[in-house]
Amino acid sequence: MHDVRATALQDRSAVPPAPAGRRLGRLTLDIRQHLSPWKQAAFLAGSLAIGLAISVAILDVAGIAPGTLLGELETVFNADSLRAVLVRAAPLVLVGLGAGLAFRVGFWNLGLEGQMIFGGIAAAGVSIYGIGPESTRLVFMGMAAAVAGLLWVLLAAWLKMRFRVNEIIATLLLNYVAVYFLFHLLYGVWQDSKTAFPQSQQFRPFERLPELGLGVNSAVAIALAAVLLAGWVVHLSRAGFYMRFISANPGMAKVVGISTRAITIAVVAASGAVAGLAGFVNVSAQESRLTQSFFDGYLFSGVLIAFLSRNDPIVVAVVGFLIAVLFVTGQTLQVFYQIPFTMVQLIEAIIVIAVASSEFLIRHRIRWTR
Amino acid sequence: MIDFLINWLTNVPVTAAPYALAALGLIISERSGVLNLTAEGLMLVGALSGVATCLTLGGHPLVALMVSMVAASTVSLLFAGLVVALRVNQVIAGLAIVFFCQGLTGLLGAVAHWQNRPIAGLAKVPIWPLSEIPVVGRILFDQDPVIYVAILIFLAASLTLRGSMVGLKLRAVGENPAAADAAGISVSKYRVGAIVAGSALVGLAGGYMSVVGVKLWVTGMVGGRGWIAVALVVFARWAPWPALAGALLFGCIEAVIPRIAAAGIRVPQYIVLMTPYLATIMVMVWVGARQLAASGEPGALGQPHVREERR
Repeated sequence: MHDVRATALQDRSAVPPAPAGRRLGRLTLDIRQHLSPWKQAAFLAGSLAIGLAISVAILDVAGIAPGTLLGELETVFNADSLRAVLVRAAPLVLVGLGAGLAFRVGFWNLGLEGQMIFGGIAAAGVSIYGIGPESTRLVFMGMAAAVAGLLWVLLAAWLKMRFRVNEIIATLLLNYVAVYFLFHLLYGVWQDSKTAFPQSQQFRPFERLPELGLGVNSAVAIALAAVLLAGWVVHLSRAGFYMRFISANPGMAKVVGISTRAITIAVVAASGAVAGLAGFVNVSAQESRLTQSFFDGYLFSGVLIAFLSRNDPIVVAVVGFLIAVLFVTGQTLQVFYQIPFTMVQLIEAIIVIAVASSEFLIRHRIRWTR
Repeated sequence: MIDFLINWLTNVPVTAAPYALAALGLIISERSGVLNLTAEGLMLVGALSGVATCLTLGGHPLVALMVSMVAASTVSLLFAGLVVALRVNQVIAGLAIVFFCQGLTGLLGAVAHWQNRPIAGLAKVPIWPLSEIPVVGRILFDQDPVIYVAILIFLAASLTLRGSMVGLKLRAVGENPAAADAAGISVSKYRVGAIVAGSALVGLAGGYMSVVGVKLWVTGMVGGRGWIAVALVVFARWAPWPALAGALLFGCIEAVIPRIAAAGIRVPQYIVLMTPYLATIMVMVWVGARQLAASGEPGALGQPHVREERR
């Protein structure tokens, strides 16, 4: 409905032409030149409220009364659950960063789950084969995970640059390849001989990310460090300026001598490395072993976090925390009310749809003209 | 050996049909200039609603397939509203719809207890006397009715897109919406129509998978076939018949996987399961290496049309 005509106008052919002046007019669109931040925030808040109301209604139909939901949300904010939320927030913030970085240079990295999986596999491999001394084992695991995620995304980047394979398709399909490779390991050589479940043996204590005190896990510190580093690169460094230049006008950036190719590859590689790190953080701090579903739901969460924070690394940290609340609530509902975890994905999708729709009102003004 | 071949090829149409129908549906909507990534999600909607109808009515697979089409079209109205009316980024909107459908079908299937409950499915209808031809008859003329109908759908879609007024206007909207708009064609009507009509076929693809193919609903059962269909569209240069050829190729790959193990060949199971996805990437590389990537693509693919922003 690119010009959202009033029905009165569409019916004109059916009725005899109305005399001038009696026409009801039609809806037209103007492009807004400017909208005050307060009004923007109001539109955003309004659409978010509508999205959340729809989500609550769906949960109500599925058997969770709004009152029960509120009660569960309250318990999330006690000290014990807050710890769980923070540990969950770390990988979410990392995949959000990964998505945001890649989107900044116009690369649709939808392979976040695949990169997480290879990050987790690399970290577990370092643990299983006992590479490096115990004191630096965690560092080795983290580095291996970052490199694995980086290589997995560079495969898609290479396919795009060398063969012009659309990265949306390539990264998504490589996720499935990564999942089956994970299954190949977990149902094969890496299967835990003690439990016979499709999971690797449990990590030793020095292979798990330690608590830093005050209920804060070092996973949170890793995520925050990544946020600050990415924030510095994006907002303050010369590379960040070039990134904005490239996304605003790639042709011009090339003409004035910025090596767009090198910067794009570097940023995409960083995106994969961060996603790989998310895999490491998740298997080490959360699961303490490689499981067959540790990556579940992180792809769309990453896209959602990047989208809501407009690819700004600092905002990613805040949104990532909120999504972690949603994740932990979703797990509670799964355990105690048998609501499948895909519910979290449904709510995420509704939020994205609501916020994306609000951008239309922020950018356009609808007017009734006669 | 010959038994293995016949057994394999007889099953190819059943595995190829979802790819073919989904790719055709995507071609129809992308020819109007809308980049459509929703297939993975809408196939899930079609698959679940098909099985749900069969379980509720106690049979009636053909009615179930109709319901699949209607359900997917209904959900696609949401996508159409987002990208045509509200001009949301088509990649973001497509992804949001896919994950919306994954969440919705997962939730509905579990809450309504439609999971893992087998249904009767659709019987094969041999076209006598063609079905009596040795070898070929069993492969081509002893299939379920949807296979024959799918060929007719391809014929109709191909003729409509190429020769009819509706097809010409649809392609004009996809190639140059501003010019089409100036010529008096309603860009939004054609785009919404193309999305809804195409999504009906995507829904049929999903319904076929669950009602005729595996004959039950499992959460997430589409398993990436929607994304492969998206790739097939690029491979087919947005033309129906090459898409059918590509679908048959992937049908061959998918149909051979369970038969390798059954034939007693020892290969790592999960590595074999990667082949459809790796094959898709190989096909995309082949397309790119032959420098075909840009040819045949609708000129305005992925761009929203805003009359007031006319450049």
